[in-house]
Amino acid sequence: MALNPENSAVQRDLQALLDATVDAVVVIDARGRIESFNRAGERLFGYSQGEVLGCNVSMLMTDIDRQAHDSYMERYMGTGVAHIIGIGREVDARRKDGSVFPVFLSVGQVPGSDPPRFVGLLHDITLRREAMASIRRERDRANLYLEIAQVFLLALSAERRVQLVNRKGCDVLGRREMDILGRDWLDVAVPEDQRDLVLAELAALAERPMHEERYFEHEVLATDGRRRLIAWRCLAMRNASGELIGYFASGEDVTDARRDAEDAALAQQRITQVGRLATMGEMAAGIAHELNQPLAAIANYANAALRMTATDGVTAAGDEDLHLALHQISQQALRAGEIIRRLRALVQNRETRLELANLNELIVEVLSFLQSDIRHGEVRVIRELGVDIPIALLDKIQIQQILLNLIRNAIEALTECPAPNRELRVASRYDGESNLFIEIIDRGPGVPDELISRIFDPFCTTKATGTGLGLAISRTIAEAHQGRLFYEPAQEGGSRFILQLPYRRGNA
Amino acid sequence: MARQTTVFIVDDDDAVRGSLRLLLKSAGLPAVAHASAQEFLDQWHPEQPGCLILDVRMPGMSGLELQSELNRRGAIIPVIFISGHGDIPMAVEAIQHGAFDFLPKPFGDKDLIDRVQRALAADAENRKTRIEKETLRSRYDSLTPREQEVLTLVTQGKANKVMAGDLGVSQRTVEIHRARVMEKMGAHSLAQLVRMTIDLEINREI
Repeated sequence: MALNPENSAVQRDLQALLDATVDAVVVIDARGRIESFNRAGERLFGYSQGEVLGCNVSMLMTDIDRQAHDSYMERYMGTGVAHIIGIGREVDARRKDGSVFPVFLSVGQVPGSDPPRFVGLLHDITLRREAMASIRRERDRANLYLEIAQVFLLALSAERRVQLVNRKGCDVLGRREMDILGRDWLDVAVPEDQRDLVLAELAALAERPMHEERYFEHEVLATDGRRRLIAWRCLAMRNASGELIGYFASGEDVTDARRDAEDAALAQQRITQVGRLATMGEMAAGIAHELNQPLAAIANYANAALRMTATDGVTAAGDEDLHLALHQISQQALRAGEIIRRLRALVQNRETRLELANLNELIVEVLSFLQSDIRHGEVRVIRELGVDIPIALLDKIQIQQILLNLIRNAIEALTECPAPNRELRVASRYDGESNLFIEIIDRGPGVPDELISRIFDPFCTTKATGTGLGLAISRTIAEAHQGRLFYEPAQEGGSRFILQLPYRRGNA
Repeated sequence: MARQTTVFIVDDDDAVRGSLRLLLKSAGLPAVAHASAQEFLDQWHPEQPGCLILDVRMPGMSGLELQSELNRRGAIIPVIFISGHGDIPMAVEAIQHGAFDFLPKPFGDKDLIDRVQRALAADAENRKTRIEKETLRSRYDSLTPREQEVLTLVTQGKANKVMAGDLGVSQRTVEIHRARVMEKMGAHSLAQLVRMTIDLEINREI
């Protein structure tokens, strides 16, 4: 009841209004003394009206603000420049019990008052503060997720401006977040030759309904000039009315993985090349054999004829020439044989290179080379790799060449049977003494009985497109290792190839 | 009936086989050719003198397998391997298992015929030794146990008198046994008799 005690209706209405408002309303005079204090004020601060009227308003403040308040007032009085009036700010307020709470303070000067009087409106913002704090916490947490994510996270506006990029993204690009945000993604990260690709992908995304992802890969350019290949999953973001508002993308840096895959492909190529060389060697061997037989026959026949004419006695005049001709036939046949021998020695001149290797690792590597054939052929691979296989001296490439031949044959054989039976068993074991064994067992049709004795011969094949050299080469290699390669029909039907290798330990 | 010395040829290649037979015939060597190891084994007799020209790689039983089968059967026939592959390790293996020689195809006629003739000579020598040994063995087997005892003691250099004491018979009886031994063994002297016991590998304590 501090307002002027003129009991007009207006005053009553005003008082009712003040009391009904949820915000504290405090009127002070020029020296800061409280002239009026409403119900909400009593409720918020815990003071009754009687306790505060006439007291300095600083009693409602924390110690820090309390000292500053007088100087604020003096400055305003002296300069007339308001720092708070009509602006409002968040300040701390103090209850009667000493507890502090946040309020939003709006201050106004009572018009026409001289000396001036001020009205303060204090709105309790405790709840808002808490809500803000919890939002901030959530945001920080979300940021943390973004930061620790091992994928490249990126949000673009509809105009391709970068709105969000996480730390991984910054790391890949070698840039700071502040140097990326707000910039056109194409300018900041995409090399020129990749831009059309990116534009096309984004355009395609813009056509898609929300939640439909697109996968694509493109290279990004780091500040050090290196390119990294990123595999993206990208979504178009739309507002409630379906308008495109941007893109969200998560990207994985697949540069290294891709390079590993290329390395693997290279290694396979190397094996294939060695295989081709071995094939040439075996082909030369095969040809040598095929040619040496008739050459031997020619030489023998010529020599037989020579002897027969000689023993019959040299009588006719032309016999000397006949003699010479027969002698030449035999000599030329021998010369051809010699040429073949040299040629063979040339091609065969691939010495084995022994190095310490783990047989199981070689098997696993070969299986990984053949992964796509295995998947494509829907072949189930069962590995039974011995746990006690010792590291041994082996020619890795050549052993892998054998395994590649055998496993490839098995996969091809298996594709002839129904999918449920396509089972390939690869086992390794060590007999504890001097031999290592690898078995390749498939449940395919097996080798026909009449062919079993010949499958290791060059040019013997059951495949329409086969050269008939794979097994011949494999056996040659195995024998070059003082090992053995042999075949047995598998018990459950199908083939079983057994590669036996001598266990040579290193010079330990 | 005495078997004629024969050069056997086992090679799956018709032309090689045919030409070899003709070449050997032209050199005056009787030859019989077979297309497979099995075919050769089916007609083979251990008493058959001769030698064998054998191809290394053949379908079915290979040359090396035939060699080990012959070894298993105690055959003494000399084997000359021929091969169109000319692989050294295989040649080494063959020689280690007792092959007489190894020739890469194609080969000169002299190379082959020289080897064949040496192989035949070796076979004849082997057979002669074997026959002599067998004859000796059968002669020894024809001795009575007492005569065998006397043979052992004689070749140990014991005098008739000592033997008579050892055997508990008269010196005269020993002399009769001794004469029978010399006669049955076909020995003309004590020295010859001693040599026979060495060949027979009896009386090791000498």
